[in-house]
Amino acid sequence: MTLRFLLVILVCILLAIAESVLPFLVHFRVARVDLLLVVVLYLALHDDVMEGAALSAVAGYLADLTSATPAFLYTFLAVLTFVVLRTVGSGLKTEGGAQSAAVAFGAAVVHSLIASLVFGFFTGSGVHVETQALLWSALGTGLLAPLVFGILRRLDAGFLHAEGPAPRGIR
Amino acid sequence: MISLLKRFREPIFVIALLAFPLVTFFVKAKKGRDLSPADRAVLLLIEPAERVITLVAYKAVDTWNGYIALRSVRRENLELRRERLQALAIQQQSGELKFENERLKRLLDYADKQTPTRMLAARVIAVGASPHSHSLRIARGSDDGIVKGAAVLSHDGVVGTVASLTGSYADVQLIVSPLSAVPALSQRTRSRSTVKGTGDYNRCKLEYALRTADLQEGDLLVSPGGGYFPAGTPVGKVTNVAKKPTGMFLDAQVVPSVDFSRLDEVLVVIQAPPLAPAIPQDVPAGPGTQGSGP
Repeated sequence: MTLRFLLVILVCILLAIAESVLPFLVHFRVARVDLLLVVVLYLALHDDVMEGAALSAVAGYLADLTSATPAFLYTFLAVLTFVVLRTVGSGLKTEGGAQSAAVAFGAAVVHSLIASLVFGFFTGSGVHVETQALLWSALGTGLLAPLVFGILRRLDAGFLHAEGPAPRGIR
Repeated sequence: MISLLKRFREPIFVIALLAFPLVTFFVKAKKGRDLSPADRAVLLLIEPAERVITLVAYKAVDTWNGYIALRSVRRENLELRRERLQALAIQQQSGELKFENERLKRLLDYADKQTPTRMLAARVIAVGASPHSHSLRIARGSDDGIVKGAAVLSHDGVVGTVASLTGSYADVQLIVSPLSAVPALSQRTRSRSTVKGTGDYNRCKLEYALRTADLQEGDLLVSPGGGYFPAGTPVGKVTNVAKKPTGMFLDAQVVPSVDFSRLDEVLVVIQAPPLAPAIPQDVPAGPGTQGSGP
């Protein structure tokens, strides 16, 4: 386990805390931004398969723990999202803020739809898609995606700077 | 064999990472969540941080409000005195009603075995992190006597139930969650039904309400008692009633009594009320025969 691996986990924990506390403090509880999804998106586009998939599973597990849903729903979805994004990743550009925001918005919409389907199918509660909440959530996720991308890029740049050659897992 | 494993280690690893959570979720999806020691260890990192951030923010807001509020203290004082007088008048009236109620109960040989429900005030410190969760995290847990499934209320009505908990924290599943189903009783008609969450914070679905029940727009639904929820606690108001020409049940929606976007403190029932006492056969069912609620 590398230091970078642990630092990405730490970033995930901090983002999970921000996700759960900030909407509560500003009394905005109708829709939530999905910052951990942005981490999965970043990992899918920048990491190698083994480390990225493992870190995505960790991000999903944290989302599971902080959302009081049946165990491992988000863990599964995070790894699935990683695999899907990794597969279509070559066509996605996230260089600028607008690009990463647009990609995160799209990923959040698709992720929410899949989550609703899986959740409804397996729990027997039926498929409920709240369009308004879904769009607010995706919009918030898209707007904050450049910030999360910036944090992770800075973290990776720190490793590049410290170690000289590109660290393992970074293209 | 080993060379094959080495060659395909990436797909094997990813498939394992996909399969394990999917199978676990499939097995446990309907059972709810029991926290494992690993879960508790991770939550030990997250929850204190959530608590500190929330408390610091509350403190800052309280301090700010403390200074701003001073400007209107005199006016508020006068209003409070007026309200106190009104409350005293109501208290006197309810005292009379209480004695009358006792007299009538003795007359009907109606043994009231309800004990006062024990409740614990708890501060909300966070909300469910993912966009699809409908939960709150409170700064009380099993160390305070809370158990899984315990009812959570606010002064407006039913909030939800405890879905998972650690020693000092608990996650509350709101009644608007698609996983939630709460028994309800129409305060006006006394007909029973179930309020099912839809995932929408402003709307639940009414299930198993008989088509013959005279449910109307605006009818208040309360908890019937006998479970974790104290009898008479508001659940929501009936809306969009649609009576189909056939079938046993009618279609309706319920607007929850609680505004979930503004919950800072909640009450957790730590001792469930006992079952409502049996009503004597010769007493007709109607308002007031359900036992005394809180």
